[in-house]
Amino acid sequence: MAEPYLVVEHLTKVYERGHVVALKDVSFEVRKGEFLVIIGLSGSGKSTLLRCINRLIEPTKGRIFIDGVEITKLSPRQMRKFRRRIGMIFQHFNLIKRATVMTNVLTGRLGYNPTWKTLLGIFPRSDRELALRNLERVGLLEKAYVRADELSGGQQQRVGIARALMQEPELLLADEPVSALDPATSHSVMQYIEQMNQEDGVTVLASLHFLSLARRYGTRIIALKDGELVFDGAPEEIDDRKFKEIYGEEAEEVEIR
Amino acid sequence: MATRGDRAAVDRSRWDRALDFLYFGSKALGKRLSLALLDVGAVAVLWILTSYVVIRVSTGEIGYTLLPWWLVALGAVEAAALWESFGRSFGHRVARLELRRADGGDPALRQKLVHWLLWHVGVIPVLPLLLAPPPHERASGLTLRPFTMEGRIPRPWWRTSTGLYMAYLALVSIVAAVSGTITWEDLVRLFTNAGATAKFWRSFLSPDTSIILRTVQALIVTVFMAMTATAFAVLVAVPLSFLAARNLMRGLIGRAIYTVIRGTMSIIRSIEPVVWAIFFLVWVRVELAPFAGVLALFVHSVSDLTKLYAERLESIDPGLIEAITATGANRLQVLRYAVIPQIVNPYISFTLYRWDINIRMATVVGVVGGGGIGQALFFYLKGNLWTQAGTVMLFIIALVWAIDYLSARLRAKLA
Ligand SMILES: Nc1ncnc2c1ncn2[C@@H]1O[C@H](COP(=O)(O)OP(=O)(O)OP(=O)(O)O)[C@@H](O)[C@H]1O
Ligand SMILES: [Mg+2]
Repeated sequence: MAEPYLVVEHLTKVYERGHVVALKDVSFEVRKGEFLVIIGLSGSGKSTLLRCINRLIEPTKGRIFIDGVEITKLSPRQMRKFRRRIGMIFQHFNLIKRATVMTNVLTGRLGYNPTWKTLLGIFPRSDRELALRNLERVGLLEKAYVRADELSGGQQQRVGIARALMQEPELLLADEPVSALDPATSHSVMQYIEQMNQEDGVTVLASLHFLSLARRYGTRIIALKDGELVFDGAPEEIDDRKFKEIYGEEAEEVEIR
Repeated sequence: MATRGDRAAVDRSRWDRALDFLYFGSKALGKRLSLALLDVGAVAVLWILTSYVVIRVSTGEIGYTLLPWWLVALGAVEAAALWESFGRSFGHRVARLELRRADGGDPALRQKLVHWLLWHVGVIPVLPLLLAPPPHERASGLTLRPFTMEGRIPRPWWRTSTGLYMAYLALVSIVAAVSGTITWEDLVRLFTNAGATAKFWRSFLSPDTSIILRTVQALIVTVFMAMTATAFAVLVAVPLSFLAARNLMRGLIGRAIYTVIRGTMSIIRSIEPVVWAIFFLVWVRVELAPFAGVLALFVHSVSDLTKLYAERLESIDPGLIEAITATGANRLQVLRYAVIPQIVNPYISFTLYRWDINIRMATVVGVVGGGGIGQALFFYLKGNLWTQAGTVMLFIIALVWAIDYLSARLRAKLA
């Protein structure tokens, strides 16, 4: 087997405010090209874990390596540069609502362009062309000059994916990318993410709420419970007993098709 | 319901302990006496307020009772006796007690009558209260028990005797307050002396056309004062707002800056622009009147806009900041693509709103000598030049109306 692409070692995160231990000594490895799904109850620390990996949140303890680089040691400036290689999409899409889809997608190139030009809204022709190609890819070419808040939820998430694609990332972090969408739309969005994973070879880390989605798209699953890693294995390995361990005795599995 | 009962239980015991302490540890004496004092006091307050209003309105004098004081005292005591025997009095409510039969049932009318009659013997001389139970309760077979809601349909408090009492108290207090500030003659003049304003109205209807040019000039000065003050205020308030936004000012130093700026701004804002105008008139001399007015409006606008802007900054969506940061953008880029898009329109909207206010304020500030149309108005009013003053006022009304309309329309567009 090749070198692992992402290594998380003894990661701990304590939120000073409220004294919450959101992650407790979490360790795991991800190989290049994997589609890793993170499951766990609300408040189990999924979002915190994903945000530690691109250091939107500073870990309290532990080390994270990406492609051999210890990113927990990078200076803020180096980290900014490194983030270009890590795309991220969000549950609530987090688009600039008043701006056009085009502007939103172009923000994916901010890290690649000189600051003063981007402050004036100037992006090179090559970036604009790339933006159109990526919009075509997610099926939104004709919406390029529409305001982002005029799109449906599913369309907004596809803009989010196009924005991430602009970074030409090697790693995609997806924090509950389909939790705000209906089942049918969920699948269409998940398929775009799957496409990134399979065609562009982007390693994906996605937190999902539905186990059925996790089984359908994940090549591997890890589970968090109260900030601790309680499962790490293949989707098939999650049987009834494991399920109850992760979600509690009361839980019932629900299907989403 | 359960929690409410629990809370009542806690409060009850606290009351009991407090009352015991006040009345030499004798439960019977303490409880009954304090109830009587509360009720007599409540009735007396009501009586005095009512008398005050009646006397004030009918004679214009300040007096607290038409009857001799001993009669007032007797009346209050008697009312308390009735209240405690036939209803749930104010004191009962405060102490969360009620009058029940020994077996817990509703008191019969006969028992209430006995309770009321013997109340005079048992409570007024105080000493019988040392007996437990006191004579009026022993004879009537009624006792004071903790109030419970059990087996009862709750009635909103305002539909009870205490509710009525409170409503009456509020009403009489308001009337007392009004009668303390407005005299009968004032009212008479208000309704009979409207004719005195006739010259005023006449002047409105026959504007002095010879001063139109001068008035329009003053009007333009006023609009310019407001514009200048607003424009410079924006320049100062925009950067300040970032320092005054709680979510952006993290850490010890950040918090300190935040606190100082917010504190200073609220002090400045709490001083009226007119006061600032006088302050600056003294500072920069009277010959520079519009300048003093502009400074006054500027200072007030800075503090107001900083607060409005900062509050808007505090409510921006942090998700977008995360998303832009995650692309590898630097601080300036995050500011440009995550913060500014969320604040531009509100900022413009607040600015228009403030400009609108400043035009009205500029008029007021002018009255104390701050220049512009306000000063013109003041000049004519002082000289009893009603026709000219009326003309100026017509212009002010038109201007304020127009600006109000314009800024409302623009702000609706921005929303
Ligand atoms: N900024 C914060 N300050 C303090 N505590 C926080 C903060 N963010 C998260 N937490 C706490 O950390 C724990 C983990 O939160 P996290 O958002 O990572 O959970 P999650 O698994 O993503 O949940 P969800 O499914 O609801 O999104 C929770 O107990 C939460 O209350
Ligand atoms: Mg989350």
